Amino acid sequence: MTPDTLSTTFAALADPTRRAILASLASGERSVTTLAEPFDMSLPAVSKHLRVLERAGLIVRGREAQWRPCRLEAAPLKEVADWTERYRAIWEGRFDRLDAYLHELKTKTKKERSHGRKRHRK
Amino acid sequence: MAVSGTVNRETFKVSTPSDHEIRLTRVFDAPRDLVFEAMSRPEHIRRWWGRLGEGYSVPVCEVDLRVGGKWRFVNRTAEGEEVAFYGVYREIAPPDRMVFTEIFEQFPDVESVVTSLLTEENGKTRLTATVRYPTPQVRDMVLKSGMEHGAAISYDRLEEVAAELRVAG
Repeated sequence: MTPDTLSTTFAALADPTRRAILASLASGERSVTTLAEPFDMSLPAVSKHLRVLERAGLIVRGREAQWRPCRLEAAPLKEVADWTERYRAIWEGRFDRLDAYLHELKTKTKKERSHGRKRHRK
Repeated sequence: MAVSGTVNRETFKVSTPSDHEIRLTRVFDAPRDLVFEAMSRPEHIRRWWGRLGEGYSVPVCEVDLRVGGKWRFVNRTAEGEEVAFYGVYREIAPPDRMVFTEIFEQFPDVESVVTSLLTEENGKTRLTATVRYPTPQVRDMVLKSGMEHGAAISYDRLEEVAAELRVAG
């Protein structure tokens, strides 16, 4: 999977039907007919969702068996999880730390002024 | 001495002005020009940006502070793993406005645009950071990841980091 496909993965995951299909595939391979059962939807409509998932690399469809079972592909999901986790880590706490640092800066500036010299500390 | 990092914590708010955006606001007990400086100079940025403490550091912090200029920050974990972010400055108007793009280097097709607005309120400074994501799906994902982990818990943990910084400073 190349990095450019992350947006495709995000888009594929945006639909509730497609998320439900992925959830059902988490427990193993399924045929299109089985996957379509819980939905009030025609087989072609379900196939359309499957094509979106397949293009995003989220599922793989068997070539050999005639019923072409669908199988979950975990790698793109992991990419999305990695992205969100790291992105969150970068943002979280940013403001608390900035606040603490500003307090430090302010104290330093005041000291420099009152002592009339730079490099008061460090 | 006032316990910084906790004084204004309750002013932190998250809202969603549109389906593409997340808006974060926070009040800081410092004048606006100092907040702007802390947000735009590398020697300051590396002291608060990214994840810090527990062996984490910011070994690379490049800032070409002009319109069209590039920035690139690297966050290194205790294990030596590096996570890089970069972007381009679109607007620089001290002391009240800054706009830049932000990209996670590993995933270059997801570019967000961060608009920071600084307003003075009774000697304090309110930062309003609006982050615009390429699609509502990306926005939702970011929002969901934050909710799942519980902002309160992570902020509590990071307060410890801030406290360490104060002692070390």
